[in-house]
Amino acid sequence: MADTILLAKGVTKRFDGLTAVHNVTYEVKAGETAGIIGPNGAGKSTFFNLLTGFFIPDEGQIFYLGEEITRTPSYERVNRGIVRTFQLVSVFDTMTVLENMMLSRIRQGRDYRSKRRFFFKSVYHPDLVDECLQALDTLGIADKADIKTSDLSYGEKRELEIVIALSLNPKVLLLDEPFAGLSPIEIGHISRVVQQLSGKFAILIVEHKISKLVELVERLCVLNEGTLVCSGTPGKVICDPQVRECYWGKEETA
Amino acid sequence: MRMIKRLERSPTLILAVITAGFIIFGYSTSILKITDFIIFCIYVLGYDLLYGHMGRLSFGHMLYLGAGAYGTALCAKYLSSNVFLAILCGILFGAAIGGILGPILIRTKGACFALLNLAFNQVGHFLVLVPLAKITGGEDGISLHFTGYRFLDFSNIHQLFFLSLISLILVAFLIIKFTHSPYGILLKGIKENETRVNFLGYNTYRYKLITFVLSTTIAAFAGALTTLNYNYANPSFIDPHRSVEVIFATLMGGAGSVLGAVIGGAAFMTISNYLPRYILRWEMFLGLALLIIAFKFRKGIWGYIREI
Ligand SMILES: Nc1ncnc2c1ncn2[C@@H]1O[C@H](COP(=O)(O)OP(=O)(O)O)[C@@H](O)[C@H]1O
Ligand SMILES: [Mg+2]
Repeated sequence: MADTILLAKGVTKRFDGLTAVHNVTYEVKAGETAGIIGPNGAGKSTFFNLLTGFFIPDEGQIFYLGEEITRTPSYERVNRGIVRTFQLVSVFDTMTVLENMMLSRIRQGRDYRSKRRFFFKSVYHPDLVDECLQALDTLGIADKADIKTSDLSYGEKRELEIVIALSLNPKVLLLDEPFAGLSPIEIGHISRVVQQLSGKFAILIVEHKISKLVELVERLCVLNEGTLVCSGTPGKVICDPQVRECYWGKEETA
Repeated sequence: MRMIKRLERSPTLILAVITAGFIIFGYSTSILKITDFIIFCIYVLGYDLLYGHMGRLSFGHMLYLGAGAYGTALCAKYLSSNVFLAILCGILFGAAIGGILGPILIRTKGACFALLNLAFNQVGHFLVLVPLAKITGGEDGISLHFTGYRFLDFSNIHQLFFLSLISLILVAFLIIKFTHSPYGILLKGIKENETRVNFLGYNTYRYKLITFVLSTTIAAFAGALTTLNYNYANPSFIDPHRSVEVIFATLMGGAGSVLGAVIGGAAFMTISNYLPRYILRWEMFLGLALLIIAFKFRKGIWGYIREI
């Protein structure tokens, strides 16, 4: 039995009148790779926002490593190891790729805890630059280091976002639709990266399309209109008649 | 073009150009006037830290300049005749006002931040004019005479000119250091997408507050020097109507760079000091200039030069 790392207990989030997430209880176990699927507007991103502290739930609680974090600010959660990516890739377009990388590394580097270094020393410290280039190289984008991030392709931005997430030393990594908007080749690339990371820390992936997740995750849940409908191994979930009705029924009329 | 790139890369060169520029400008026109220009440039630099670097537009930055000016004047009048103590007093007063209002203001952004600053500026202006008139001299302000300190005597216009210039260089140096440091990149991040910075594990509130207080402190420094320069402090130093001047100067020069701020400050002061001699309703031309900048030179004078 693996330990629970992240636990949502009966969380509910309403947006004036609309209940985006309704009484969801869900847990992520240490080291597992889990997936949540659901049609557009099912509340997947909202659920992520609750886990990461972007929203505070109207009801319910969230626990991380046994401690309640329902109201813990998001930066604090990141520092404790809950790291996320965004459905719409979110990197800093006005900076270079290297600067993007530095901004996340600095936070983790112990050297930069000193105020003098943080406020007055040049950020282009050889050790830091090396470290960042190495990190970028893990996804093969080190040669783009000096390019303005706005000039990257969407797929490259997604890769950068993932490198940044990894540099934050995640204990649990939350990926919000990491394949959305990517070409099949890029999807393959990101899939392989996720497979390599599997087991190193807990990963929770939210996706709109079920097909991308089947071979990636050990456990799959379905979220529909804010409620969890079904959960189990990917094979079992696909065959569940309830899922077919609420999910496939709407999305892909075969 | 290569020269401009080189200039931008080298902090020493930037500071040297600013120093040389003002000395030449000052001694070929009027020292007294150019001292005013330099002090205004310090103010613009402080404002640019908040607006250009962190992306927070304020309509009430005169409050902090005024805090510095009155802090200095009140200290000189009631506490001590030591000039340096008076300047320090002004700076600390501006920092304190920033530290008190900051936690409220910095939670907001956009129009709300801009207008809340204006509101506090109006309150400050009113306080100086009416309820605190007994201390601040109300409409008339406070007249002062600063005595010298050993060989230093800032009633000597040359000495004051160089005090202001050294102050400007010091502030510019600090800001250049900031922009190249991790803190500078963090500010860039906050300007573009604050939430995202939060999700990198930074408590953005803390850094926004630090930046805000730094900005008010620099504005107060400029205010302290203004009092020294005029030998008085009066309500026009805290007048919210004048808050637009610094925004104008920042936009004119180009937001987010030290050279932009200094060029903008000098350009604005040149227009507002010399144009009225020739044209009665010169403000109209200021408006026209703003229109041209808004449509043609989005990134200001310096932003335009560096891109050609
Ligand atoms: N900030 C918000 N304000 C109001 N409604 C929102 C907000 N965020 C999401 N919603 C609504 O909540 C529902 C769930 O959205 P979301 O979590 O983004 O779904 P998904 O990610 O599964 O596509 C949608 O109906 C959406 O319109
Ligand atoms: Mg979504």
